[in-house]
Amino acid sequence: MTLAAAASVGLGMPDIPTATLRGHPGAQSREEIKRNLGELTAEQVVKRLTTMPPVALDQSEPSATDIYFSGGFEAVNHHFYKNELSDGLPIVPPTRERIEAFLDFTDRDPQEILGVMLPDSRAATIWSIAVNGVMAGCRPEYMPVLVTLVEAMLDPHYGIEHSGNTPGGETLIVLNGPIIRELEFNYTQGVMRDGFLANTSVGRFWRLYVRNVAGFLPHKNDKATYGNTWRVVIAENEEVLARIGWEPICIDNGIAKGKNAVMIARYTGGNILSSVSGSTPEEMMPYLTDGLTKLSSSWQLVFTVGGHGNSLRPLVLLSPIHAEMLSRAGWTKQDIKKYLFAHARVPAWQFERQLRDWSQKPIWNLAEEYRLGHIPEVFCESDDPNRLVPIVCTENDFMIAVTGDPARNSAYVFAHQGELGYPVGREIHLPKDWANKLAAARSND
Amino acid sequence: MNQSGNDGHYDVYWPRSPRQVKRTQLAPRLNTLEGKVVAQLWDFLFKGDQVFELLEEEIKTRVPGIRFVNWREFGNTHGNDEREVVAALPAKLKAMGVDAVISGIGA
Repeated sequence: MTLAAAASVGLGMPDIPTATLRGHPGAQSREEIKRNLGELTAEQVVKRLTTMPPVALDQSEPSATDIYFSGGFEAVNHHFYKNELSDGLPIVPPTRERIEAFLDFTDRDPQEILGVMLPDSRAATIWSIAVNGVMAGCRPEYMPVLVTLVEAMLDPHYGIEHSGNTPGGETLIVLNGPIIRELEFNYTQGVMRDGFLANTSVGRFWRLYVRNVAGFLPHKNDKATYGNTWRVVIAENEEVLARIGWEPICIDNGIAKGKNAVMIARYTGGNILSSVSGSTPEEMMPYLTDGLTKLSSSWQLVFTVGGHGNSLRPLVLLSPIHAEMLSRAGWTKQDIKKYLFAHARVPAWQFERQLRDWSQKPIWNLAEEYRLGHIPEVFCESDDPNRLVPIVCTENDFMIAVTGDPARNSAYVFAHQGELGYPVGREIHLPKDWANKLAAARSND
Repeated sequence: MNQSGNDGHYDVYWPRSPRQVKRTQLAPRLNTLEGKVVAQLWDFLFKGDQVFELLEEEIKTRVPGIRFVNWREFGNTHGNDEREVVAALPAKLKAMGVDAVISGIGA
């Protein structure tokens, strides 16, 4: 199914006419494109503009608050899978008892609509958050985190509507605050590995919600060329941060230190920088900078300059060992960002080749973008094609989190997907009587 | 399907929620494209600059009297100012006397 056909239903235009391009223009010569347009597309365009298509029938849908299906564990799972309501793994059957246990961990009305989720234009309700939380295998006490994640998902700066695009990046969730320990999120060794209920099930919830409520189903609205599996939630090591006096990453999103917070952003991939050695910042930072630059200076540069420009936010995960060493040398997260902005650079000719020649962005070059006021002068300090230019527009575009194995000196870098998943943070609001409710939920552990 | 005694019984709920959008009726189609003005909207993907140029040529061989408004007049419908670009469309299309729109390119 084409994206236009899939998205048109949720956008209220199920019979909008489309014309077909044979093959992919990106892999065709000008002559091939012309031939395909002449043989197929031009005639279709003329016809679609002059002939009314048949009216598409409206499809009735179940009520969200009536019993939808009844059966045994396998029957429920089979039905959900066959109707594209699950990710292929077994789900926990969302019964009223289980849903209500989740609803007990929020003060909000189950039918409250937090917003409308594109492209399916479905209501993001508290009820639907609980249902998908149950299915994902979350515990009821994770509900305040789940609600906050959906609020963040609805933030227009994040851009949920872009979640089915070609690069197929996947969202990373980063947690801050006391809730990390209260809900037993892993924030040390193997922080991105499955095996920890909170990290794993909340990560799965995200993808189920993106499927079921936003409407991103593979082969329909989700057009990822390859895609990623959903990511396990990570959390910062706030004990280390407190010890060395560094700020948590939620500060970057305007949320004060000590608050419970989520951050979401989409990344197309990442890379481990194993055994980053050095007893001083000057010894250690070149390796980190080199790894970050190599990962983020390919097609991601479309998010630095051009139509999607000024939105690239590469993320670095520093192990506690590195953070402590840098801190001993008097560095803060801001000093790391300054260093990266000064040193994570590529030759201007390489930058321009990537976008103009390889990614085929037609209206584009550094000098022109600077002349138009779209990018800072640092990109155009001379006309030397070998001059080094940064991979982001400002030092504060770099993001840094401290997490991972406290006993290893490795780092991890993420390739960001710019405005098609821009970093967004939200404070987590806990329900009244949180402590007692949490204690009761944990009493049987 | 296993219906063994320890498979349980569950009354479960739908994980989706109601759509919040009303259906938009298609505008009436044009009787002819002769003498009509057709706007091009581009998301700056998939060689659309070439596709629109060549498509325009092909359509003009079929409908010589058609006139196109180039995508350059409207901006990128898939860039970081896309909301502003799309919001400005109704007024721009009206001011330019546009009769129909071709918007692309998706996959």
